[in-house]
Amino acid sequence: MAAHALACRAIGVTYGSLKALDDVSVAFAPGQIHAVVGQNGAGKTTFARVVAGLVAPSSGSVEVSGNSVLPGNVAASRAQGVELVHQSFALPPSFTVAEALEFGFTGKGALYSRPQLLRRWQSHLAALDVSVAPSARIRDLPVEAQQGVEIARALVTDAKILILDEPTAVLSPTGIEALFQRVRRLKAQGVTILLILHKIREVLAVADTVTVLRGGKLVAGPLPVADVTAPLLATLIVGEAVAGASGDVAAALGAGEISHTAHRGLDSRPKVADLNALSTRPDPEGPALAEASLAIRAGEIVGVAGVEGNGQRTLVRALAGLVETTAGTQHLAGVGSEKLTLAERRRLGLRIIPFERNVEGLSLTSSLWENWVARQLVEGKLLSFIAPRRIREACDRALRAWSVRYETSTQRAGSLSGGNAQKVILAREVDDDAKLIIAAQPTRGLDIGATAFVWQSLRAAAARGSGVLVISSDLDELFDISDRIVVMLSGRIVAEFTAPFDLGAVGAAMTGAR
Amino acid sequence: MIDLIISILRSGTPLVYVTLAGVIAQRAGVWNLGLEGLMIIGACATVLGIIVTGNFYVAMAIAMLLCMLASALLWFVIDRLKANPIIAGLGLTGLGIGGTALAVQAIYGSLSAVNAPIGVPRIGPLFGPFAPLSIFVLALPFVVFGMWVLLRRTRFGLRLAAAGEHPFAARSVGVNPSRMRLVALLAGGVLAAIGGAELAAGSLNLFAQNMTSGRGFMAFAAVIFGAGHPIGATLAAFFFSVVSALGIRAQLSFGDALPHDLLQALPYVATVFGVWLSGKLRGGLRAAGGGFGELRDN
Repeated sequence: MAAHALACRAIGVTYGSLKALDDVSVAFAPGQIHAVVGQNGAGKTTFARVVAGLVAPSSGSVEVSGNSVLPGNVAASRAQGVELVHQSFALPPSFTVAEALEFGFTGKGALYSRPQLLRRWQSHLAALDVSVAPSARIRDLPVEAQQGVEIARALVTDAKILILDEPTAVLSPTGIEALFQRVRRLKAQGVTILLILHKIREVLAVADTVTVLRGGKLVAGPLPVADVTAPLLATLIVGEAVAGASGDVAAALGAGEISHTAHRGLDSRPKVADLNALSTRPDPEGPALAEASLAIRAGEIVGVAGVEGNGQRTLVRALAGLVETTAGTQHLAGVGSEKLTLAERRRLGLRIIPFERNVEGLSLTSSLWENWVARQLVEGKLLSFIAPRRIREACDRALRAWSVRYETSTQRAGSLSGGNAQKVILAREVDDDAKLIIAAQPTRGLDIGATAFVWQSLRAAAARGSGVLVISSDLDELFDISDRIVVMLSGRIVAEFTAPFDLGAVGAAMTGAR
Repeated sequence: MIDLIISILRSGTPLVYVTLAGVIAQRAGVWNLGLEGLMIIGACATVLGIIVTGNFYVAMAIAMLLCMLASALLWFVIDRLKANPIIAGLGLTGLGIGGTALAVQAIYGSLSAVNAPIGVPRIGPLFGPFAPLSIFVLALPFVVFGMWVLLRRTRFGLRLAAAGEHPFAARSVGVNPSRMRLVALLAGGVLAAIGGAELAAGSLNLFAQNMTSGRGFMAFAAVIFGAGHPIGATLAAFFFSVVSALGIRAQLSFGDALPHDLLQALPYVATVFGVWLSGKLRGGLRAAGGGFGELRDN
């Protein structure tokens, strides 16, 4: 039917034995904003990539405005006016904005001079109200501007269908509002928009229809948003069995009432970490810390909010002793720690759940027991005797206690799913001797069940007397779990809030509007 | 003075062509350590081609074809068989050095040099004292400029760079990064063949075993020194040949007063110095998005 802007017929995608998409048939009306929602692993991104031609479906077909599109061919999809904006942006960092817009362009002018190039794209950016200089380099842009450029890139050709894959994940609350404004303007110009989202609140705020995927299957949709409620949508997303099981599930979907933990008289507890006007050298992974002061008391969960790339990684590296400090002091468990190595800090009770689970957190090619015992070996003596059999037995006990689903402790860590891999890290890092637990993006990429598990584990650790520092770009997560939230901007700690938290105030602090 | 300029142009020109081959491969995301092998294949094929056919242009075409084949082999091993590009490149270099030596031995039964009756056409008396230089020296400025336009001022150049720096970004706009790498390596094969031909038949008209003696690796260093920019890398390559020419000069002037081996080592010392300097000045190729990182495709 030509009435549909986009129609997918019985699309299936299989990776080995995994069915990423299973017989998905759905059609979208033109000129509307369509949300596609689902948990992690529901197949949202795969769906977007099939439509854009980046992933070839193993069965089924895609039709745009009634014309069937050659599957798995980006050029063919683009020729039909389908453009995809990726979750993690796909622009070469060394390119200037103008070059990034040009390289995907298919019109005239394949040979250019630099001023020509800048002029060509200046007006395009202006028309879309993306306020960046065309001569700026992609890597120097803040994440919101990068997304603006990515959207502008997607619109260099005459896009009829614009797909945005989890565009809100990297944005501050004001950035999200600006994005929604932009999306509505595009809709007014007649562009059909597919928004991949995972927050129910955002779906209800911006979309005209909503389509739900679960486990690679189409559950419902497209349903008019006017006809759905948040609880109904939550049930559709997680399935009957899980829904309502825990407040954490609803909170993880951004739908539940946020339960504010009362400030539990923590002020008298000892400080497990105390940064005093700490400045560091610039770090390759982010800006330098600038006079950051932060104290974490035993039993307290402190959240670190901020748009990504504002010094959160440097903060973690400073606490771990991986970046040189230039001024200020830091204490760990009451001991002056500026000069200590990571091993010495770990002996004092520092535990880290790192940002990149599969890079920093685990050695994917090593066995589970080696990964599990690494912390104890680092803390132990250099020439301490290792008895692998006894360690494997202890590892088995620990992994069972943390309900990790695995076959044998000698299997490689890379063979575990994201949630189970994170549990192995928790089993290693969360113990009775932990004084300060740094949890960096502890739930990123995890499904709802694993997310709730991580939150419970961190709460339990705090209840046992550990101080917990949670770094997350998910404000709902921080609001739900933290006793106190600090906001980082350009390497500084610019604001501090105690529960109950105000989304507007925290969001304003994140963008420096305050 | 003119002698010095001529000697710099003679030693620098082959190096620049091979450097450009490295630049285009680097833009496409391949650190081509097979340059040495490509260059010597080009040199050997040109000389043998001239001996067999008696025609320089036919010989040149054969050399280009062989170098493109060798480049295609490198692409196949890296891109299709997923071999480590560094190891594969070194393998190609070994193949080139060993294979050409074997070819010369098998055909002429000698370990020493093979002489060709003619060489690359010279630019002629119109250019006065520069007459004995080859046409490839004359073509060099145009080739470098053309390369700069192609890589830095065309959409093709942007797509090539995107394929090298962020293959997923390239795929997202419908560019096939793997095909881009093939195109870059084939073009590099042509350039390296010219570099080899210039080295062997640009002035001496002979091929000797291992006659490239590390020039391919110097070209690789020039790519890094010049931060992957065609003009920067060209200047870097000429810097190396200036040092080398001055070394020869010093040897002639001072004779035995300076140790002979030290002077011969000069260009290589300059290479190390240049790479260190480029790292100091602007983080080397990290600025151009390079480095020895894995090809990113997600």
